Amino acid sequence: MLYQYKTKFGLGLILLSSFLLNTAFAHDPIFGQGPHVVFKNGVEVATGLETSKKGTEVENKLGLEVTYGLTGDWAMGIDIPYAIKADNGNASSGYGDAGVFTKYRFWRRDSLGLQKSAAISLKLFGPTGDKNAAPALGTGTTDSVVGLSYGYESRSWYRWASVRYRQNGTNNAGLKRGSKTRVDFVVGMRPNLTSYTEPDMVYLLELNGEFGDQATLSGNRVANTGGDEWFISPGFMWSITNFSIRGGIQLPIVSNLNGTQEKSDYRAKIGFEWHL
Amino acid sequence: MKKILLMSIFGAIAIFSSMQASFGAAGTNYTIRVDGLACPYCAYGIEKKFKKMAGISNIRVDLDKGLVSVDAKEGVQLKKAKLKKLFNDSGFTYRSMKTKPIK
Repeated sequence: MLYQYKTKFGLGLILLSSFLLNTAFAHDPIFGQGPHVVFKNGVEVATGLETSKKGTEVENKLGLEVTYGLTGDWAMGIDIPYAIKADNGNASSGYGDAGVFTKYRFWRRDSLGLQKSAAISLKLFGPTGDKNAAPALGTGTTDSVVGLSYGYESRSWYRWASVRYRQNGTNNAGLKRGSKTRVDFVVGMRPNLTSYTEPDMVYLLELNGEFGDQATLSGNRVANTGGDEWFISPGFMWSITNFSIRGGIQLPIVSNLNGTQEKSDYRAKIGFEWHL
Repeated sequence: MKKILLMSIFGAIAIFSSMQASFGAAGTNYTIRVDGLACPYCAYGIEKKFKKMAGISNIRVDLDKGLVSVDAKEGVQLKKAKLKKLFNDSGFTYRSMKTKPIK
């Protein structure tokens, strides 16, 4: 009865938020990445809202991410974003650049109430968003992200570390956005050791670093692009059986951007996930 | 006559009780030690996989003790190799199991 109710509730939420957001894998950090992989033949459906503000530029994204477990350690999926953007009085909305991704957990050490693991990941973004919209909804390029993550998950404490590198393609005008390296260090704490059927809450604190290269236009460096930013990001994961709500806010603590650029004000995410 | 009737009733009850004891075993309870169980959300895959198996019921997960307990109805047997695969496919590690008859 409870299962049926939860399934109906879940499907309702999926339909209500049928344009969805870019969330991370299951029981992973909110902004960083962890090595978690959905179980074999399992389906993970994630929806949510992501918002960010950078000077006059405001971006809201709804997203849908569907992941399928190929084995107990290997998953792949798709990510379909829908963006609503505003910048200097202009506004646009529509589908953004869709992505396909895969993650393989190549190392796992299990002991009583503890799992240590590591995974590699690959994500490819296609030029599905409208690059001519103002502000642009897509990049007009095919981009890729490779990642390596480590996770320590115990009953009370979590620790994650990850590094991701994004290589951007060159558009028809010869513009190549700078590649970006991200590093993440995350700790999590479960204050109450609840049982399997009870609601479970984990609090997270992330340190996220981003190191961006300068963009190039026909091989020449473009001023006022690239630079480094560090964020501190409190967040949470709440779950009950096969449903979870995850959220967090990313606040800049260090900005060292090249030339004259707007600094990030904040980024925030809230997501809903189901394991089916 | 009354004595014989009472003895017959008690005898019938005794026979019925012993029959129930020998034929009433509804199956086997498996208590399985599993490593890597840290969060309830991640353990859902185990429940889902057992739910798909015919003759399996009463699935319980004890995260603190690293135990998964299921009841298998009579005639259904869970072998070590099958359990190893089930837990590996769920992202965990099978360690051992204990069985006991369900009365």
